[in-house]
Amino acid sequence: MSMSDQLDPAALKKRLKALEAQAKEAQGTIAELKSRDALKTQFLSNISHDLRTPLAAIITHAEILRDGMLGELNTKQRDSVRGIMNGGQQLLDMIDEILTYVRGASDQVKLARTEFSITEVVDQVRLLNQPLAAKKHLTIERLNGDDVPPIYADRDKLKHVLGNLIGNAIKFTPDGGRIWISLSRRGKNGNELLVEVGDTGRGIARDNHELVFREFAQVDASPSRSHHGTGLGLAIARKLVELHGGSIWVESELGKGSRFFFTVPLNGPRE
Amino acid sequence: MAARILIVEDSPLVTDAFRILFTESGYEVDVAATVAEGIERGAANTFDLMLLDLSLPDGSGLEVLEALRERGVPPRATLAMTGYDDPITRRACLDAGCAEVLVKPLRIGDLLRHIERHLA
Repeated sequence: MSMSDQLDPAALKKRLKALEAQAKEAQGTIAELKSRDALKTQFLSNISHDLRTPLAAIITHAEILRDGMLGELNTKQRDSVRGIMNGGQQLLDMIDEILTYVRGASDQVKLARTEFSITEVVDQVRLLNQPLAAKKHLTIERLNGDDVPPIYADRDKLKHVLGNLIGNAIKFTPDGGRIWISLSRRGKNGNELLVEVGDTGRGIARDNHELVFREFAQVDASPSRSHHGTGLGLAIARKLVELHGGSIWVESELGKGSRFFFTVPLNGPRE
Repeated sequence: MAARILIVEDSPLVTDAFRILFTESGYEVDVAATVAEGIERGAANTFDLMLLDLSLPDGSGLEVLEALRERGVPPRATLAMTGYDDPITRRACLDAGCAEVLVKPLRIGDLLRHIERHLA
């Protein structure tokens, strides 16, 4: 643009008009994208509910067979029924994960705070994941935390966050590896809880540190990827941590394991 | 005499599975798929227990219980079934007279235990 253009009121007016038109168009595009995103969220919610019903029926039938209500099963039949149930349960977990995400995305998730011991919750999640870890000869240990005071927060939501982080660690750590959980206090007067979930797994390249917390994002998104899932676990974890007023991040390098951290206030607001 | 259970649920896949489960456990079973059917079946027979899904094609499952109570023929116990455990839904069910709110998906062992407890 030449100097004379800049000073010409007519040219300036024209340019202003063009900018206004561009801004209006951009606003229209944003509104359109937002409405499409809301539609997508609604679709996810509906489809998840609709998938859950037949799946629940399949699992109920399998349980009826497993419990011998229609006659005793032989060992091979029982193994086969157990396969149906395990597959069904895995699908159900994935659908529930999508539903949790959808509720978070549409701000339907509310915190129900109580006072509880975070170390007890860590130990529960550890125990729950023990069978899965044992299959890969992984150890899961809590390094410390006996001195952490009771926390006032949403117990189920933090359990969900820990479950997602430990579940991921198991998934991405090769046989014989190590997973640890460390609890400490930080911030002013130590009023914040810092939780670390670390592993000796494959690690995450620096470029992907933000990506992993984005919904539906998977570092390897190819159909041939070795790890499957909804790609929602860490997005949900972030949502639940942020609802508490905390933050979540990862420190990792490819091939050197990962350390996921999150913080939550020890003494959340009391209504 | 065998205890009678009324299942009010719109998915035939679920009611088929429950019918087998309850029949094999020694109960008599009847099924309704809508609010209207639930009221009709519930009023026509005396039931010891009603298993009530909250979202039905023609309204809320709680309307069935309300109508049966108004007619003076509620089942001895009503157990509500919901896919989402939130405090508001739970409150609404208990206020409407449900004895318990069960969160789907239900494990058969848990479900049978709840039913036995309420029929005892």
